[in-house]
Amino acid sequence: MTRPGFVLQVDERTPPLLVHEGERMRLETFPLGTRVIYPPESLPGLPDVDGAIRHALLNPLGSDPLPELLFRGMRLTIAFDDISLPLPQMQTPDVRQRIVEAVLTMAAEAGVDDVQLVAANALHRRMTPAELRRCLGERVFRSFYPDALTNHDAEDRDNLLHLGTTDHGEDVEINRRAAESDLLIYVNINIVAMDGGHKSVPIGLASYKSLRHHHNVHTMLHSKSYMDPPKSALHGSAARMGEVVKEHVKIFHIETTLNNDAFPSQYRFMMKREWEWSTRDQATMLAVKRGLDIAPAKVRSRLFRSMEAPYGVTSVQAGATDPVHALTLENVHRQQLVEVDGQSDVLVVGVPYVGPYNVNSTLNPILAMCLGMGYFFNMYRNKPLVRPGGAMILYHPVPWEFSQLHHPSYVDFFEEVLSESTDPATIEAKFEQQYATDPWYVHLYRTSYAYHGVHPFYMWYWGAHAMEHLGDVIWVGADRRTVGRMGFRAASTLQDALEMAGGTVGRSPSITYLHSPPFAIADVR
Amino acid sequence: MSLRQDLRTVSRGWRWGRTPLVPASAQAHRPALEAREFPTTWARSPAAVAVRTAVQRVGLAPLVRSQVAVRTTGTEVLRDLRGPVVFVANHSSHLDAPLILTTLPERWRRQVAVAAASDYFFDTWARGIGSTMAFSTFPMERRGGGASGTTLATDLLLEGWSVLVFPEGTRSSDGWAGEFRRGAALLAMAGRVPVVPIAIRGSFPAMPRGRGWPVPGRPPVRVRYGQPIRPAADEDAAGFTARIAVEVGRLGDEDATDWYASMRRSVEGTGPLTAAPEGARWRRVWAATEPPAVTRGAARRSPWAGWSDSAQR
Repeated sequence: MTRPGFVLQVDERTPPLLVHEGERMRLETFPLGTRVIYPPESLPGLPDVDGAIRHALLNPLGSDPLPELLFRGMRLTIAFDDISLPLPQMQTPDVRQRIVEAVLTMAAEAGVDDVQLVAANALHRRMTPAELRRCLGERVFRSFYPDALTNHDAEDRDNLLHLGTTDHGEDVEINRRAAESDLLIYVNINIVAMDGGHKSVPIGLASYKSLRHHHNVHTMLHSKSYMDPPKSALHGSAARMGEVVKEHVKIFHIETTLNNDAFPSQYRFMMKREWEWSTRDQATMLAVKRGLDIAPAKVRSRLFRSMEAPYGVTSVQAGATDPVHALTLENVHRQQLVEVDGQSDVLVVGVPYVGPYNVNSTLNPILAMCLGMGYFFNMYRNKPLVRPGGAMILYHPVPWEFSQLHHPSYVDFFEEVLSESTDPATIEAKFEQQYATDPWYVHLYRTSYAYHGVHPFYMWYWGAHAMEHLGDVIWVGADRRTVGRMGFRAASTLQDALEMAGGTVGRSPSITYLHSPPFAIADVR
Repeated sequence: MSLRQDLRTVSRGWRWGRTPLVPASAQAHRPALEAREFPTTWARSPAAVAVRTAVQRVGLAPLVRSQVAVRTTGTEVLRDLRGPVVFVANHSSHLDAPLILTTLPERWRRQVAVAAASDYFFDTWARGIGSTMAFSTFPMERRGGGASGTTLATDLLLEGWSVLVFPEGTRSSDGWAGEFRRGAALLAMAGRVPVVPIAIRGSFPAMPRGRGWPVPGRPPVRVRYGQPIRPAADEDAAGFTARIAVEVGRLGDEDATDWYASMRRSVEGTGPLTAAPEGARWRRVWAATEPPAVTRGAARRSPWAGWSDSAQR
């Protein structure tokens, strides 16, 4: 029986608690009375995933069964979530591979010849051939790569199609091949409530011209939170665009949800509640922690990048976007939702080693900010875990490190833009266009494996809601220069951070520690 | 942080060598216990009984008497009683089981098994074997739901072994008796045996929760055995449990006052053990840690107090 999530009140019996800090971890003794939010235990995965996929394809929601939508001579496009999902990468076979193979089996039976597979990477970096092979499996890769298995190119003007505007005047421009297909099948992995639904096609296959309508400061400030789609302006915009797309192309949406098995079995202690750690868990934790503390940075990175999550698939649903996504959200909440009474003065989070935008790469300072203040801060429904004007304390070393290959525009953003202003609205007005249209960044995005030139801006906007809401942001164990550049402060220990936050939240603040990963969404009452 | 510091953090945080603790707010979220059988039949073999009797007589009893000043009353009720029975006592200290085992007449002591919390006394093999050998314990789920422990206890009664149960399920945190659970009553009803109530006074101040050894100064402790009680024909487990709890409380009161006063106060619900002072926790602890009077001040004696009343100081 899977136990639901719950809120622990730290007392004298509570052992030190595990806190992630990048490619390291620590045991932290929290002040008595601290609330700790634990996600629900991992739900059991479906025993027969292939059977569940087949059942979903044959019994879709709000749509005819998939075999009835496939016919000889049709143009079929299969788009799929890119490498930003799931986190960490799941053990093979990836659920996308299972789904795509099932879809292609039906397409072959129907005699479909014109099939194109597209990674819906929007302005993310392209997936490498090895990553595509890992994601979709050898069979699919060998059959379709390179001609019919590609990355979406948001700067390929010839392969973009402007479908019109929404009633709010938002441009809808997506991948031409997808828009002109007889059927567009989208294969999704929903690891958090933000993913999926209309965010898949109108965003994953869009261009900058379309994305700028919702990936902006104004929308982000009105997405409270973007983990709660009904209260997210971002999702509202995507839904409006989805309606426009639907008028032009038939979409068959396949969504999946995963359980909380985010770490391999040898690191299972990371998913257990600390007071339930066995002697073996304690020994493993000590060994891992000591190993990480003394290992060279390269070894640490290699260790973490080799980590594959043994995720179980908890649901597969297919059909029309809206009914499918409603069921998907139910399943995400079943795995992640935790009821929490009220806000606190201080929110504490440990920022782990990987976010959606640094798979097989470096978590640079902007991405660390985005993961902590964008993702973790927004893991709420109703209202944030921390009160307006409260403080947020994050654990991460935040080294001054960037991947020149994956994040070239981030380097300039950090050096040039943030040294002038950290205010999202100012940055947006003054610098966004320049970076978004810079030919060198466009070139690197299209031909190398670089994130788009505008991407660091979006990451900064991702944290805009938190920046506006919080009175103080302090990073424990961080490089002072780096967090100083971003307008934050650094502390050596939690005690120091609380001392520093005293001016904002008083000497005896209420504290909430979001014990994540695995992910938990706080339903704050 | 060095390896040494890490080791210290983990060893302290997870209480190496001691029973791990669960935060109070996590108690309700503990995982379902896995069914784990801990064999204890060997501890009731003639050889084990002989060894245990010797250990208790030459080791445990002198040790207990050297640390606390024990006064036992009421053992005469056991003289004409034929076993088996269910012994039921209030529980506020790890001293309680040794006190009862060392004050029972030997005829009873040789054939009494102690129900012990499976999650505490049987969490490791070493602890399980040690407690089974020394006290003839057997595992019982204190959160209920453990059918095997209850079945074993019933089987023990059928085999002629008496069973000692602390129906509060855990030691009192403030010295006052907590709510009695129905296990002991159900057991007595299932085995069709009487319940012998026992009141223990003074063990809380002598060795409360958190102490591994009695306080210095040989504090006084009282153990008082009561008349056996049986369920009425139309009585259910809840009613019988309530009656047992009242009788245990009254026995404690009798020890502090006298028999008649205890009867009066029992009817009024104002006796010690059960009638904790209102207000802050410290007041209950304060009252509970007041040691029993060393001298015998009771004017009126129990009607069944006989020749053995003065035994075993």
